[in-house]
Amino acid sequence: MTSNYTVMTVTLLVWLVIFIYLIRLEGKVKKLEEEK
Amino acid sequence: MIWNVILFVLMGWVIVMAFITPAPQQVIGEASRIFYFHVPQAWVAVVGFVVSMVASINYLRRGRLTDDDRARVAAELGFVFCLLATVSGSIFAKVTWNSYWNWDPRETSILFLLLIYGAYFALRSALTGDEKRARLAAVYSIFAFITVPFLVFVVPRVLPSLHPSDSVVDSAGQFSMSGTTAMIFFPALVAFSLLFFRLYILGVRISILKRRRIEESQL
Repeated sequence: MTSNYTVMTVTLLVWLVIFIYLIRLEGKVKKLEEEK
Repeated sequence: MIWNVILFVLMGWVIVMAFITPAPQQVIGEASRIFYFHVPQAWVAVVGFVVSMVASINYLRRGRLTDDDRARVAAELGFVFCLLATVSGSIFAKVTWNSYWNWDPRETSILFLLLIYGAYFALRSALTGDEKRARLAAVYSIFAFITVPFLVFVVPRVLPSLHPSDSVVDSAGQFSMSGTTAMIFFPALVAFSLLFFRLYILGVRISILKRRRIEESQL
């Protein structure tokens, strides 16, 4: 069960990193669109 | 903004619940938890190929290069999720069958699918001229999609396979999922679909920006 919590924590961290990257990328795209 | 919040919460829910609830398949054990990620990845890959085919038809009907961008972005995402499904399936195979690759019908059919869509990108990169590339790629994408239902749904069910096939519906066609499993699996399908559409919209917006930049530099 402990290993399950370890995998869960790692997966959550990976998801957090992907999500933050997605939000930042969206922000950059929006900025570039507004520049046009 | 609201979609991002829903996506973040839903995926978080799926990840937490997938690991704190009992494994969905007691016979297979802990490895069966991959079901909550592997099946939605395969599902989203099929969605990607469907969207690519629809955008390709739209391109042939209307001749707008934006539709070609849509087809390419959807095929790229479909390919990435197909690759993820292959890798997660391969990890499952190592745990349950003691080998990463067994040439099981399910593994072979997904490999064919990857090769077919790999050829789509090779075709695109081999052609010059936006219109010519878009037209040929659209025709290829439509023909490529014809293989998807056979390779994903028909071949693995017709040929004898080690791949579990009663996770969602049993051999009699009855819904075989427990309440807890369904409570995680269906939100996982929604979360992965939402993630696909967020990435798809973003990919199309980037393609439009790139195209505008090229057009401006040519003026």
